[in-house]
Amino acid sequence: MGDGPSQASELGRFAEPAMLVLVSLSASPKHGYAIMTDVEAFGATSLGPGTLYAVLARLEAGGLIEPLESDDRRRPYRLTAAGAAALADQLAEMGRFLRIGRMRLRGATEGADR
Amino acid sequence: MKTPRLHRFLISWYPAPWRERYGAEFLALLEERPPGLRQALDIVSAALDARIHPQLRPGPLLAAGPPVVPELRPPSVPLGSYGVVPSPPAGAMSRRAFMRRMVGAGAALLSLEFLGGTLAFLWPQFRSGLGAKFRLGRLADIVVQQPSFATGWPFSYAPARAFLVNVPAAKALALGQEVSIPDPTADQLLALWRKCPHLGCQVPSLCETLKRFTCRCHGSTYNIIGEKLKEGPAERGMDRFALEIDDDGIVVIDTALIVAGAPNLGQEYLTFADPFPYDIKCE
Repeated sequence: MGDGPSQASELGRFAEPAMLVLVSLSASPKHGYAIMTDVEAFGATSLGPGTLYAVLARLEAGGLIEPLESDDRRRPYRLTAAGAAALADQLAEMGRFLRIGRMRLRGATEGADR
Repeated sequence: MKTPRLHRFLISWYPAPWRERYGAEFLALLEERPPGLRQALDIVSAALDARIHPQLRPGPLLAAGPPVVPELRPPSVPLGSYGVVPSPPAGAMSRRAFMRRMVGAGAALLSLEFLGGTLAFLWPQFRSGLGAKFRLGRLADIVVQQPSFATGWPFSYAPARAFLVNVPAAKALALGQEVSIPDPTADQLLALWRKCPHLGCQVPSLCETLKRFTCRCHGSTYNIIGEKLKEGPAERGMDRFALEIDDDGIVVIDTALIVAGAPNLGQEYLTFADPFPYDIKCE
């Protein structure tokens, strides 16, 4: 997984939108517009169309997602096994971050109470 | 459905290989969610990003079968037509067109900046500086801040470079009387601009001895209500700002409305004379 732009650090400013797209696709395959509305529903943020397709191109180049065949112009994308593994890694990392953050915050508020 | 011009324009920023791969689905997306200004900017910036990251240009679609092995191309320029630049595929933006567009965008941005700068320069000042309206506060607050204002000493308000003069009390002060008028009406107040009408030096505070203003630069001397006396080169009295007391009792000075001081025509034209000689100044 170290090859290709699968690592968050290599995605640069697209790291966060990439995360949103991966989470969205982990539920089910979706085309671009469905990803946008889904991200707006669960992510409380919105992806611009340019950003969305920049992310899709990167994830596809990194082998994390793949395009599916489609009858109309709207092409759905699906999470690959590599993509699911990368997302799991990222979420585990974020979980660790959350735990440490909460722990430190608790320490800080208790310190302030004293 | 016919593709809107805006969509075609936006997608034209992307490089041709990108358009071949993503163009159709991207246009479908734009039809479902017509882009606003923010989305348009997002698309243009992503398109430039796609141009500077050609390695991200996608390979063939999975649906298109196994990867196509590029053929060995024959020399693309036959000897006979050497020097002829091959034109890009129809509908694609050539490197030259792209460069032209960037130069055009740069020139447009530059002229926009010039226009903005010019407008900003012409824009009137509303909140600070000369031209703004200043709210000095209620008379009661001014008297608390400077109790001598009630007995005729001018209240200096630095942000507007103005003296607020309590006219009846000030006249009494200049005549040597002790009168307290803590609540003058708006027409009993004067806002004198502390800029000497001679060359613009700041007029200093009232002098204790004569109760006059004498400019330190060239000695132009004014009485307590700002009328020009004999001394000094200024040709008129101190200029005044429009002043009102609003419904909440706040004294408001409008520095966009300036009334020029009366010309210095001689002693007999003064509206107020203090007991000192016409031709002396503060030392």
